[in-house]
Amino acid sequence: MELKVYGHRVSQPSRAIMIFCKANNIEFEEVTIELPKGQHKSPEFKEINPMGQVPAIIHGELKLFESHAILIYLASAFTGVADHWYPTDLVKRAKIHSVLDWHHSNLRRGTAAYVFNSRIAPVFGLPLNPQAAAEAEKFLICSLPLIESFWLQDSGRFLLGANQPSIADLSLVCEIMQLELLDEDERDRFLGPYKKVQQWIENTKNAIKPHFDEVHDALYQVSATLRKK
Amino acid sequence: MELKVYGHRVSQPSRAIMIFCKANNIEFEEVTIDLPKGQHKSPEFKEINPMGQVPAIIHGELKLFESHAILIYLASAFTGVADHWYPTDLVKRAKIHSVLDWHHSNLRHGSAAYVFNSRIAPVFGLPLNPQAAAEAEKFLICSLPIIESFWLQDSGLFLLGANQPSIADLSLVCEIMQLELLDENVRDRFLGPYKKVQQWIENTKNAIKPHFDEVHDALYQVSATLRKK
Repeated sequence: MELKVYGHRVSQPSRAIMIFCKANNIEFEEVTIELPKGQHKSPEFKEINPMGQVPAIIHGELKLFESHAILIYLASAFTGVADHWYPTDLVKRAKIHSVLDWHHSNLRRGTAAYVFNSRIAPVFGLPLNPQAAAEAEKFLICSLPLIESFWLQDSGRFLLGANQPSIADLSLVCEIMQLELLDEDERDRFLGPYKKVQQWIENTKNAIKPHFDEVHDALYQVSATLRKK
Repeated sequence: MELKVYGHRVSQPSRAIMIFCKANNIEFEEVTIDLPKGQHKSPEFKEINPMGQVPAIIHGELKLFESHAILIYLASAFTGVADHWYPTDLVKRAKIHSVLDWHHSNLRHGSAAYVFNSRIAPVFGLPLNPQAAAEAEKFLICSLPIIESFWLQDSGLFLLGANQPSIADLSLVCEIMQLELLDENVRDRFLGPYKKVQQWIENTKNAIKPHFDEVHDALYQVSATLRKK
């Protein structure tokens, strides 16, 4: 049954889906939706996801959107996905659901809106919005210490005390990678105080070599272009 | 193994958890966290949920927060919970995850903040905030037609074409019930155009009698008090 992943490598949750598939040898066709050109709002794409957002997948007859729902579906539907990605143990699984939901309302809410409104809105033909960026920055500034002191509090190398990555590590680290679109000193201002967070990002990149960096290559290129200006 | 549910019946996600337990004969101790008195920010409660939010549960050694994670855990961990609440079928389950995540960023984002900032903030010793209410109202106004035309588009009685309620119906309808805290004409202004939504709310109440109304009784009382002013 064919799997199509609709997304864009500048989109944090799109990257998470693609990296997950590659890391688990799940074959898929990558369909790039041109976000800067507004393709996600086209009638054709809204047939796939009426919310007009990426990522979305089609797998057989299933059309699915919301990246956490997609990650959970792929981890469950494809044989050969190692248990650590989405453990069958109900307690471990519950904690993964908990951090994924926390992420939506906290880290993602802060990071995505901050980077968009302070840096990359012009790529989409929109003006920067310092007020929206300032509102978003509050969520980002509050989220990072919670990851440092609570979600990474146990002695494992990954979230929730685990020693192998889960879909939660993938989702949250792809979000934090969006800070690479900022100038280096600004990114360092956010991440500098948090040594465990920095180590966890490295752990996650290393655990998912070479796919993590390969999928992030487009982001690194956009970042380099922005930093030259 | 004892189950404790920490919440408050004025809190939408707290109600969802309590109704789920009662409807499924899951015994639990209800521990009211006095939100107007700020008890959710107390050091004692932060031992249970460091985020200082309700609901939270303790089940044996597990401490868990985020209502969707809790609903999924309870549906999975307790035998005797009928399959329609959280189907084992991966496609049905994926669509439930999708609407639950959509809910966080859309209906809940709008409804909770609108009701708080336009109506009930003074109960918590905070001023009303018309600007925040106006921002939140946009999400609410956009969410209701999407439920009407997309999430309820199939011919079933409940979300996603189902003929029995899932945890998604429970979560979203508990959120919409928060509009009962508004004056009747304001609530009717929001819900009036959406006949399917209104029918779905009734279907959900009927399917979960008498627990749904019983748990909502406190909300109805607060609403009556506010409407007399």
